[in-house]
Amino acid sequence: MMSTLRTVALWLERRLHLTKLWNQTAGHPVPASTGSWFYTFGSMTLTCFCIQILTGIFLAMSYVPSAAESYHSLELLNYSIPLGWVLRGIHYWGSTCMVIVMMLHMTQVFLWGAYKYPRELTWISGCILLFVTLGLAFSGQVMRFDTDAYWGVGIGASVAGRIPIIGEALVHILLGGPIIGSDALSRFFSLHVFILPGALLAFVSLHLRLVLGKGINEQPKPGVLVKRETYDKHYSEIIKREGVPFVPAAINKDIVANGILILVIVGLALFVGPNGPGTPADPTIQIADAKPDTPFLWLFACAALLPNGSEPWLFFVFPLVASLLLFLLPFITNEGEKHWRRRPVAVAIVILSYLGIGLLTYEAITGPWSPQMDAWSGLPIKAEYVKGRTPLELQGAVVFQDMQCRNCHAIAGEGGHRGPDLTQVATRMTNPQLVRQVIQGGGNMPAFGKNLSPEQTRALVAYLCSLHPPNVPPAREAVGVLKPIGETQPTPSPTPGNVAVRGEK
Amino acid sequence: MNFSWPSILLYTCCAGSLLAISGCDQLPGKPKESDRWIAPDAIKDFKQLFGTNCSACHGDDAAIGPSLSVQNPFYLAIVPKDVLKKLIAEGVKGTAMPGFAKANGGDLADEQIDILVNNLAGKAATQQTSGSGKTSSENLPPYSASPGDTDRGSEAYNQYCAGCHGQAGNGGKKAGSIVDPDYLHLVSDQYLRSIIIAGRPELGMPNYQEFVKNHPMSPEDIANVVAWLASHRHGASEANAAVSPTATVSSQ
Ligand code: HEC
Ligand code: HEC
Ligand code: HEC
Repeated sequence: MMSTLRTVALWLERRLHLTKLWNQTAGHPVPASTGSWFYTFGSMTLTCFCIQILTGIFLAMSYVPSAAESYHSLELLNYSIPLGWVLRGIHYWGSTCMVIVMMLHMTQVFLWGAYKYPRELTWISGCILLFVTLGLAFSGQVMRFDTDAYWGVGIGASVAGRIPIIGEALVHILLGGPIIGSDALSRFFSLHVFILPGALLAFVSLHLRLVLGKGINEQPKPGVLVKRETYDKHYSEIIKREGVPFVPAAINKDIVANGILILVIVGLALFVGPNGPGTPADPTIQIADAKPDTPFLWLFACAALLPNGSEPWLFFVFPLVASLLLFLLPFITNEGEKHWRRRPVAVAIVILSYLGIGLLTYEAITGPWSPQMDAWSGLPIKAEYVKGRTPLELQGAVVFQDMQCRNCHAIAGEGGHRGPDLTQVATRMTNPQLVRQVIQGGGNMPAFGKNLSPEQTRALVAYLCSLHPPNVPPAREAVGVLKPIGETQPTPSPTPGNVAVRGEK
Repeated sequence: MNFSWPSILLYTCCAGSLLAISGCDQLPGKPKESDRWIAPDAIKDFKQLFGTNCSACHGDDAAIGPSLSVQNPFYLAIVPKDVLKKLIAEGVKGTAMPGFAKANGGDLADEQIDILVNNLAGKAATQQTSGSGKTSSENLPPYSASPGDTDRGSEAYNQYCAGCHGQAGNGGKKAGSIVDPDYLHLVSDQYLRSIIIAGRPELGMPNYQEFVKNHPMSPEDIANVVAWLASHRHGASEANAAVSPTATVSSQ
């Protein structure tokens, strides 16, 4: 029995040269010092990719890439197909984790100076992998085809449209027409399941080939400089001195890290669940609360925080410059110090990028810039901000709702947060200031002058003037004195003193 | 630390059994039916319809609205069903009450408006049959009537209202001005009438039976007070329509 097995194995070996393949790949020698937790992010990224392919194949069995049915097929997965939601959850969290782990991998490579001579191409192929992965995350979000997806496609199209010369044609190719519909969805579908995964496979192969060919970067030591003339010899000495086969000697920590990663992804899928689908995409419904998926949240925050008109910079110039710098990095600093302790600029860049992206993402998650579209009719004002008001002030509160101020402004914390909370607005603004703000708008607030009659304006401002805590007096001039409203108001001015304020009598 | 193939197996088993043991369907990650998106047109629940479309201005069981509570038992007892439907569908022109029918730029399907009307009318019915309310025992004043006599309205005002709203209507200790031209410009005569009959108990304004003890306001007094109030509007002499004539802004 054993001998037959042996014969078969040998027969195969003679034809496939498996031992040689093994020795060149899994068994290739690496510096022993690389068996470190910091070197596990690369394999974790690969694991994520495998998870995505696996779950993606199963998702594709149920998903229908058409505008009319995609939404329904996701609902089927969520609610009807057994464990369909787990599959969606794993695919969603796998994608998020893949981007995060990939970022950690890049950071490690950057801080360890691994991109320097002779591993320039490894870095560049890695950068390509980053962009392909982001493309996958982006096109994957489009698959949901809800309002978030719509927002994404809209932004994507406007970015592509800014590319000189080919921009318009590119948008047309991407969307398959002037509107975002079935054509756009099927294009993004083939991007997401054929083109980009194919590209990723190809570049992963190249990337691994380069890793094997040029060897894994040794743990840098402060003061040991990379020189083009001597490095290759230096590296082969390290391998000779402390080289161990990757499997089984250096892979242990990778296995543990990947096990944890899988547990985290499955755990997130089981306990947090899949994302959406949210409100279905519908070109006739105004998109109010769309947000992109996690990897793009920081861009979303930028778009919301930067002043109007900066979009061309944000969505075209900045990505172009940033990616150019990224790709050219190995040529900008090709030699020299590798250890992060001797590279303060590199450390600063990492800290700043993480801080920036982290803060922006946090802002995007917590900052509800989107107006709350049904607050005007569906969100009552807390009783204490209604009670004790005069009839005029009560009508002012009605105007406040009717003009949909509430969609952008909270009272007592409830309502939209586009504009400031107005719970105590009377303590910081006087009556004329309030009138000006309402009539002329300003900042990101529209001007309401044309939509409000003088009576509505006075009622509204009377109500706003009543918004102050009982023990804090309103801003001076604010109470009871209604000045004639400026030139914008052609109608007769009110008789001062007509406005009754409780407690004055 | 030294991990071997058995430990890999262990890990996979852990992950696998985690999936299996959990029964999955009870886990918090499972999408809930309640999170499922419902087309706005498909909402058929009265509470939800009223909550999202009306409560911000009219309040509901839990909240006080700046405008009259349309669930006030006196109001529901007097308002005819067809008028209610027309009000919701078309709104009140010249006031902040928008029309909710699609034909009037609103978001509600006819069926949904019927749900609102039927449920509100249904509330009125249960309030009456339950017998607890004073709404059934008394002869209620009619929902609408043309405004009465201004001078007699002034007298009636002094009798029923001045105690709270002040001698000239300019506001008193217990309540604010109701003769402010801006205020009057923003509300219709019918609204004033509804308020006098139904009161605003949530704000401390009694209904028509309670202003003077054991002496409910007569329908004539109500119409006269409405006329007297309306006479304080700017340009009130020109027109005395049921809807404030000077209103300029179309609803919504
Ligand atoms: C599209 C959203 C939006 C709507 C609708 C809106 N606002 Fe604003 N509002 C803002 C923003 C944004 C600001 C901050 C403006 C700035 O940066 O100067 C603001 C500022 C204000 C302020 C000044 C607050 C302060 O503390 O400085 C007042 C008062 C105000 N709004 C009242 C209103 C009223 C009344 C309405 C309804 C007629 C209204 N707003 C409708 C967005 C909105
Ligand atoms: C933006 C605020 C607003 C919203 C939202 C709103 N209303 Fe009104 N509603 C008003 C105002 C203001 C009036 C008083 C109009 C007038 O002066 O006659 C009114 C009047 C009414 C009246 C007539 C009262 C009378 O005197 O007979 C009814 C009935 C009514 N609303 C029902 C509803 C219902 C039902 C909804 C939800 C579908 C709703 N309203 C939503 C502001 C609103
Ligand atoms: C027991 C005191 C009291 C009496 C009597 C009274 N009211 Fe009121 N009324 C109030 C209170 C309290 C409010 C709430 C507004 C405020 O606090 O100023 C109010 C509000 C109103 C409003 C505005 C409601 C709105 O939604 O716009 C009108 C109109 C009104 N009253 C008319 C009358 C008339 C007419 C009479 C006499 C027939 C009358 N009131 C008698 C206490 C009273």
